[in-house]
Amino acid sequence: MSLTRIKTALLPWAVPVIAIIVWEVAALAGWLSTRVLPEPWAVLKAAWGLALTGELWQHVKVSAYRALAGFAIGGGLGLFFGLLTGSFRKAEIALDTTFQMVRNIPPLAMIPLVILWFGIDETAKTFLIAFGVFFAVYINTFHGIRSVDPALIEMGRSYGLSGWRLYRDIILPGALSSILVGVRYALGLMWVILIVAETIAAQAGIGYMTMNAREFLMTDIVLLGILLYALLGKLADVLARALERWLLRWNAAYLGV
Amino acid sequence: MKIDIPAVLAPHTRPGLSADIRGLARSFTVNGNERQVLADLDLHIPAGEFVAIVGRSGCGKSTLLRLLAGLDQATRGGITLDGQKQNGGSEDLRLMFQDARLLPWKSVLDNVTLGLRGDRKQLHERGLEALSQVGLADRAAEWPARLSGGQKQRVALARALIHRPRLLLLDEPLGALDALTRIEMQALIEQIWRQHQFTAVLVTHDVGEAVALADRVLLIENGRITLDQTIVLQRPREHGTPDFANFEHHILKRLTTVEAINARNQHRGKIVDIVYGDVISEVRVETPTGVVIAAVSTREVQEQALSTGAEVLTHFKSTEVMLATAAEEARQRVSA
Repeated sequence: MSLTRIKTALLPWAVPVIAIIVWEVAALAGWLSTRVLPEPWAVLKAAWGLALTGELWQHVKVSAYRALAGFAIGGGLGLFFGLLTGSFRKAEIALDTTFQMVRNIPPLAMIPLVILWFGIDETAKTFLIAFGVFFAVYINTFHGIRSVDPALIEMGRSYGLSGWRLYRDIILPGALSSILVGVRYALGLMWVILIVAETIAAQAGIGYMTMNAREFLMTDIVLLGILLYALLGKLADVLARALERWLLRWNAAYLGV
Repeated sequence: MKIDIPAVLAPHTRPGLSADIRGLARSFTVNGNERQVLADLDLHIPAGEFVAIVGRSGCGKSTLLRLLAGLDQATRGGITLDGQKQNGGSEDLRLMFQDARLLPWKSVLDNVTLGLRGDRKQLHERGLEALSQVGLADRAAEWPARLSGGQKQRVALARALIHRPRLLLLDEPLGALDALTRIEMQALIEQIWRQHQFTAVLVTHDVGEAVALADRVLLIENGRITLDQTIVLQRPREHGTPDFANFEHHILKRLTTVEAINARNQHRGKIVDIVYGDVISEVRVETPTGVVIAAVSTREVQEQALSTGAEVLTHFKSTEVMLATAAEEARQRVSA
């Protein structure tokens, strides 16, 4: 790699790095109160300390498990019903209106009711995430199935494909890019709902850790919690992108044609 | 780009399918109005013949092809393939579309073997063999998005050929290609047709392409066959030879005259009688509005191969109408 290319690669990082340096200096000089914002070094130390005791992993594990369980249930149901209503006109007539009505309820508005129904344990959080994620996947799956090129379906039929084979070879792959858009959107929603649900009521998880730290004015751990959410969100997005890149590798956009 | 075709090909050639079309009509209802696209069409295509159908956009040629393919239902009349009624698809026929319609998520090879069942390894071999016939065996593992327009159509041709069709329907398959690629593809299609001996029906609006490929060129206007021209040229044919140009010119002229004349002064009808004269002959044409007698030069009668029972379009210029005093019918000048 030439020098200019290294420079271009590093340039985007210049602003964050300078900001962190300024921040660290300001904290060391006493311009920033640790009650407002702890120094970056303190956040790192807090992370190290919690990692050593194993507490950090415990919380990350609990949060990730909640997120994934809710995503799996909501996304799975969304995919199932999206495929159903997208493929069968009768299912659409029977179900779509209901889904479209319920979709307008913001998941977070359900919190009081969900606490009454399920208490404050895992079920409530899983339900909230599943509820929010469902519609993102449902709508995009439905749309994906409906927008498969009819010319390709006609071609498939004239080449003797029908039933499951037509579905597997043409309809599902044709709907895939739209479904993946839904999945990525749902992943973003998943973290937002998780964070809110965890900070309201929890006995474990990143949100619990953060809220607990706030009680004791441990701003370094509060900040660590926020950074952890950001990291997990980024990780999920990177994985989703990689999945998209793999599943849609035939797409001209990924072939560089 | 040169397409190499292996010498030994098509180990199990299957004979072509003959098609019989009787009284075929198809109309569509648009905003409550019925629009007749095909009107009482009769056509016989013998096994192994290469027929090209030309005509203006919207003349019904694509509808005819879709009916042949079983993708559409006739309003009246019917099609029999080798004596069997065509109702919705057949294993013996394959259709090539205007666009290649390759599945972008399947490799070139998997596109070719689409719809086939059986042992995967055997399918691969058959797919590769079909691809080598169109000169694309080395691209088997690639995604269709990487191919050029002409290559995509060659893959589509391989996909059709692997089924060993007895009737191959081609719906303007070369329309989107550049002139050079198109001529190469024509040569390829002709070569493959001669090796496999299937029946072929090509819809095109390129008259040159029709003359280059077909044994017989049909002109469809307003849902009827108005010209059935046998092309007697040696194969492989070469664009631009005098005989080639004659056929092309003849058909083109028919196509464009019909387009240019005023619809009010024309009557469609059947020749009921021809009275031959030394120089001028009289052609009597029965039209829905009455009998029209046309004075046509005897030479033209022979050149146009007019005969009793043929469907023709009579046409007169409003400035050249002559009224005969005593005759039972008005005599009108007609350009057939």
